[in-house]
Amino acid sequence: MPSEKEFISLLNQHQRIIYKVCNLYMDLHSDREDLFQEITLQAWKAYGSFRGDAKFSTWLYRVALNTAITFFRKEKKKPETYLSDSLPEQADVIDNREEEQVKAMYAAIGDLSKIDKAIVMLYLEDYSYQEIGEMMGITANNVAVKMSRIKTKLKEETQKQLATN
Amino acid sequence: MELDELKSLLNHKLSTDHTGRSEKDIAALLTKKTVSVTDKLKRSLWIEIACCLLVIVIFGYWGLFGANHSFRIYFSVFAVLSIGFLGIIIYLLRRTTRLSATTLPVKHNLQTIVNIIEEFTKRYFQFTMALIPVCFIFAFVLGYNDPEHIPSADRFAKSYFSALWQVVVFAIAYMLLLTVGLYYFTKWYLKKLYSRYVAQLKECIAELSGE
Repeated sequence: MPSEKEFISLLNQHQRIIYKVCNLYMDLHSDREDLFQEITLQAWKAYGSFRGDAKFSTWLYRVALNTAITFFRKEKKKPETYLSDSLPEQADVIDNREEEQVKAMYAAIGDLSKIDKAIVMLYLEDYSYQEIGEMMGITANNVAVKMSRIKTKLKEETQKQLATN
Repeated sequence: MELDELKSLLNHKLSTDHTGRSEKDIAALLTKKTVSVTDKLKRSLWIEIACCLLVIVIFGYWGLFGANHSFRIYFSVFAVLSIGFLGIIIYLLRRTTRLSATTLPVKHNLQTIVNIIEEFTKRYFQFTMALIPVCFIFAFVLGYNDPEHIPSADRFAKSYFSALWQVVVFAIAYMLLLTVGLYYFTKWYLKKLYSRYVAQLKECIAELSGE
């Protein structure tokens, strides 16, 4: 019988993973809250299957992505501001130009498909193509091909965004 | 600007847009209800199980102790069909529960959900369609051949029809209308419940399968 206390403690330490997934998949704050709750519940239900032979973070990514990809909301009007606009300012870390680029890249990632978003997220976390493939259920080769296509798309979209600003 | 150049900044941005939750908050979340498709499906399956059990008990009773010969056969067949459907529903419920308790790779998870939903909608449709001949044709044949008179049926026929052809026309029109109505209603109902969702999941699977 899995221990609830142990699970809560582990989840508390790794909750940034869930926030990352929620931020990437949902535009509205209320939807992000709902998705956070859903991922937490699904993780708790599946916690019995976590055997400790993989890292908890990897396991949690798998649960979170599975939940986010199968989590559909009724179409709502997209908020006027992009997700990146609602993020905390980090003027001391990023200069204005860099911040614009990050915002543009962020917006471009937001327009990707659910599958591409998942691949980008795992790539940003420094998982290897092999590991990404195992999590997504595809080959490492396929991940490499997709990643190359995604990078090109993001570059083009970011340039477009920056040019219009 | 390349994705790799902004990797650390993006990662930082993604993970900092939150206030954080305490262990107490997380514990409170565990008591809430889920809205995932597997749980929605499980709720549908439990409702079907409850309905099946009700039908089996009530129709089984009439099948055993009904007043007329035709009633007994009619309700017994209905109850037996419901037992078969109940078996399928229980099997699907077990598969859905197993799926909730495991963490499959994304593609495999999507395929399993699609398979379960398609199996459910297929069997639901088959069961509903199988009830059409039982409800109408079988009921008419049995009623017609029943050695005992059914007083309520006799009263109905005498008060509304004066000739046999009128009864035949009414019976055919009634069967046709209800068959067509039930067919389209079941299709519409199942489509409304899951078709858009299944289509979206299939799009994801296709995307994962393609290069």
